[in-house]
Amino acid sequence: MHQERKPMSRQEFLLQMDEILGLNPGTLRGDEKLENLKNWDSTALISLLVVAEANNNVPIAPDQVVGCSTVADLLRLAQVQD
Amino acid sequence: MASEINTLPAEVSKALRFPIDAASVVRQRKSLVQELLKQPNLAPTRVAILGGSTTAEVKNMLELFLLMHGVQPSFYESGYNRFAEDVLFENRDLWNFKPDIVFIHTNWRNVSQFPELMEAEADVEGRVRREMERFESLWKKIHADLGAVVIQNNFDLPDLRPLGNLEASQTFGRVNFLLRLNAEFASYARNHSRFLINDIHYLSAQVGLGEWFAHSYWYNFHMALSPTATVALARNVAGIVKSIYGKSKKCLILDLDNTLWGGIIGDDGVQNLILGRDHPVGESFLDFQRYVKDLQRRGVLLAVCSKNDAETAKEGFSHPDSILKVEDFSVFKANWNPKPGNIREIAAELNIGLDSMVFVDDNPAERALVADQLPEVAVPEVGSDVSRFAEILERERYFELDRLVSDDLNRSAYYTANAQRDSSQAGFQDYGEFLASLEMTAEIAPFSPVYLERITQLINKTNQFNLTTRRYTIAEVEAFARNAEYVTLYGRLADKFGDNGLVSVLVGRTHDTTVELDLWLMSCRVLNREMELAMFDALVEQCQFRGVRKIVGVYVPSKKNGMVARHYENLGFTRVDVTSEGHEVWHYQVPADYSPRTRFIRRTAIEPKVA
Repeated sequence: MHQERKPMSRQEFLLQMDEILGLNPGTLRGDEKLENLKNWDSTALISLLVVAEANNNVPIAPDQVVGCSTVADLLRLAQVQD
Repeated sequence: MASEINTLPAEVSKALRFPIDAASVVRQRKSLVQELLKQPNLAPTRVAILGGSTTAEVKNMLELFLLMHGVQPSFYESGYNRFAEDVLFENRDLWNFKPDIVFIHTNWRNVSQFPELMEAEADVEGRVRREMERFESLWKKIHADLGAVVIQNNFDLPDLRPLGNLEASQTFGRVNFLLRLNAEFASYARNHSRFLINDIHYLSAQVGLGEWFAHSYWYNFHMALSPTATVALARNVAGIVKSIYGKSKKCLILDLDNTLWGGIIGDDGVQNLILGRDHPVGESFLDFQRYVKDLQRRGVLLAVCSKNDAETAKEGFSHPDSILKVEDFSVFKANWNPKPGNIREIAAELNIGLDSMVFVDDNPAERALVADQLPEVAVPEVGSDVSRFAEILERERYFELDRLVSDDLNRSAYYTANAQRDSSQAGFQDYGEFLASLEMTAEIAPFSPVYLERITQLINKTNQFNLTTRRYTIAEVEAFARNAEYVTLYGRLADKFGDNGLVSVLVGRTHDTTVELDLWLMSCRVLNREMELAMFDALVEQCQFRGVRKIVGVYVPSKKNGMVARHYENLGFTRVDVTSEGHEVWHYQVPADYSPRTRFIRRTAIEPKVA
């Protein structure tokens, strides 16, 4: 059951992605190409889907992520607030 | 093994404690694993995951929860849905990996064929038999060729039921079929050692089928479970592995007021305690007492640690609805002293480590004090709502069992008998006279199949009287027993107060005229009874029989086995070396005219009793 939550901010999302990828907090700026990210793999993708749904109540279909090539694309998909 | 959850950094501890925020664990997994890898003394274990679906997330989460229990896994993963092929065709990588544990991650989707609609019962039975043959062929091959412990998922239930409720009652219904298979799996587990069920039928009910399975993860990744359900599954499997390695807790320490009954016994008196079916909160306390009693019956030791006068505290158990009685508790500490000190005394009286204990108290201040001063003691945040106490204990899996042996059921009785022995000792001036008065008898013999489970349990749980602290699976213990190069001895000790059960294990490998001792350990419940002398006498007999002239003893110092630092010296060994790792090597030349050292223990004939 999902409760109403304040949507995640851009910074919160980027910090969570840092955590998922095992990067130091603040590493991701939001304009990176996914293919250049260390540890961006199916495991990271699944973690991202879980986090987006848990935090933003935004279910993202895996095939939508496949269409993303940058972190900015993911931010738009996850509907984070600026 | 490595530290307990309380001794981990606070943020790690918080993330992994019930109730777990699965999404947070998924997100933080990498950093949690990095922190857990810093623990000292991690026990390496080889785990093969044979999957009927995608297993990458299972492996990731299993790594995390195994590390939480001080186990550092290396993994083999089968190819997608190749759980059967990898075994039947002896995949070279799997065979070379030599797993200690094989986890078969299958689920209802891996049933080869469900019954047809309106299929006759005899035909459905045939399908059950063929499905069982299919799985049994894997289990037997794993045991025979790899010698690993098998952890096998039973079957969860499908999210869809075309027959509706009839799925459960009709023999051709999928639900009915799966329940029959689960019963067959359970029967196999009861009748075979080194085979354990990971009960995903129960887990999926606990998580809820709606959360257990997620369509998008199945169709896109062929993950049989959602990522958050995978967290629950991995936690459960890690709990099973923990119990195999003897890391389950042994003792539950309980506060009294507002923990075992509602109210304050000292103020309210027994007649006004809230306990019993007439009151919703009273019924909660009753059910919690029933749960605690069930734990005690299966071998968990109970202790009281309460701020009360002792006699007043005991009155609470005379309440007509109290399920627990004073005699259910192996130690009863009710006084006005700080609880950490009492808990240390409980540990000393029971001769078990603080890390074997769980402390439950409704008072957050008391919990915080114990958690702060005794980080080895598990202190679950039970809150103050007694209706949740049992659930929280359950979910933390403190007392997970991999096997129930008769010694477990008798554990409380052993400690009660020990208390009687200690009381009897007070009447003697001379300790030797006391020992003689016990009329002790010991059965010491080579390993017998009937005792292998208890022997393995002792090997993996004993920390203090343990010369090398080496841990072995039951498969390895069986191999010692079958190998003529090994001298194996178990020891049971009884006296006029009762049977202590199987309490000592010794294993040595012979080479020419030498035997090197790999294992020598003894339960602390029989310390200072000279049982180690009886074991040594039996070892020397074996040496004389085999023509062995030198016994090599190795002492590997650990944090917990300081009590045996002079064990070999006391037996007349000579220290010949200390290795660079600090292991001490001791030699003993077996004399032709050896005189038995045992003074107070009569050895009975070497005929193992049926457990």
